[in-house]
Amino acid sequence: MSTQTQNEFMLLFRGDEWCKGLSAGELQNVMSQCKAWFDRLVEQGKIKAGQPLVREGAIVSGKNGRLVSDGPFAESKEAIGGYLLLQADSLEEAVVIAKGNPTLVYGTTIEVRPVAQECPLDVLARQAVREEQLVSA
Amino acid sequence: MNAQKQDEYLLLFRGNEWYKGLSPEEMQKVASQWMAWFNRLTEQGKAIAGNPLESEGKIVSGKNGRVVADGPFAESKEAIGGYFLLQVKSLDEAVAIAKECPGLAYGAVVEVRPVAAECPMAEVARAEAQLATASA
Repeated sequence: MSTQTQNEFMLLFRGDEWCKGLSAGELQNVMSQCKAWFDRLVEQGKIKAGQPLVREGAIVSGKNGRLVSDGPFAESKEAIGGYLLLQADSLEEAVVIAKGNPTLVYGTTIEVRPVAQECPLDVLARQAVREEQLVSA
Repeated sequence: MNAQKQDEYLLLFRGNEWYKGLSPEEMQKVASQWMAWFNRLTEQGKAIAGNPLESEGKIVSGKNGRVVADGPFAESKEAIGGYFLLQVKSLDEAVAIAKECPGLAYGAVVEVRPVAAECPMAEVARAEAQLATASA
């Protein structure tokens, strides 16, 4: 996967109905606040990538992906509306950055996840092998 | 519907419990299949980014993000374990790629989402502004 993953954090923006019920004025306000928040982070060199997502798509599951449904996705407040990939020194810093997002007051949640240095499956496999060795020792 | 940015699709790998019953050998096998899959897609120019995510993190909510919870910990089919960013011509092609995911046979789920051309709230804002003008 990505080779320079140290100090990378994903912000996953959850909640896709938070802007319903806001007036045009409120929406304009939030949008310009978001733009300012984002532009500041870009200036600080914190943004590596980021995109909003269309509210549709597909869910693939089952062996060989034989089941394909149109959604619906997770319930609305869990639905992911977009993501940012940040460069930050620590999870704490990434959390502080997330706290500055203007949509939170309207009910979104932001999941902050460190990018893994290596595949979590490999890490788990090694742990399991170590545990097996301890048990059989 | 939100205008789509041409050609880009996000694959979100969901589920944090599907691998828990696997033996270490099976886990390593799936891990290397996954890496090979990503490398192949990258060589073909179809994958332009991808990362696995650490299972722990934080969930920020509330005004000024005043609520910070640990998470996601719960075993969940919804938890996101990683992503690929694809550059392909259609949702169908992105779905065909998603079907190759080595975790599917064990119960992983892949969510395929087109990347939007602009933030969804911009579209809502425009709609609201039009309504406001219409009723003025």
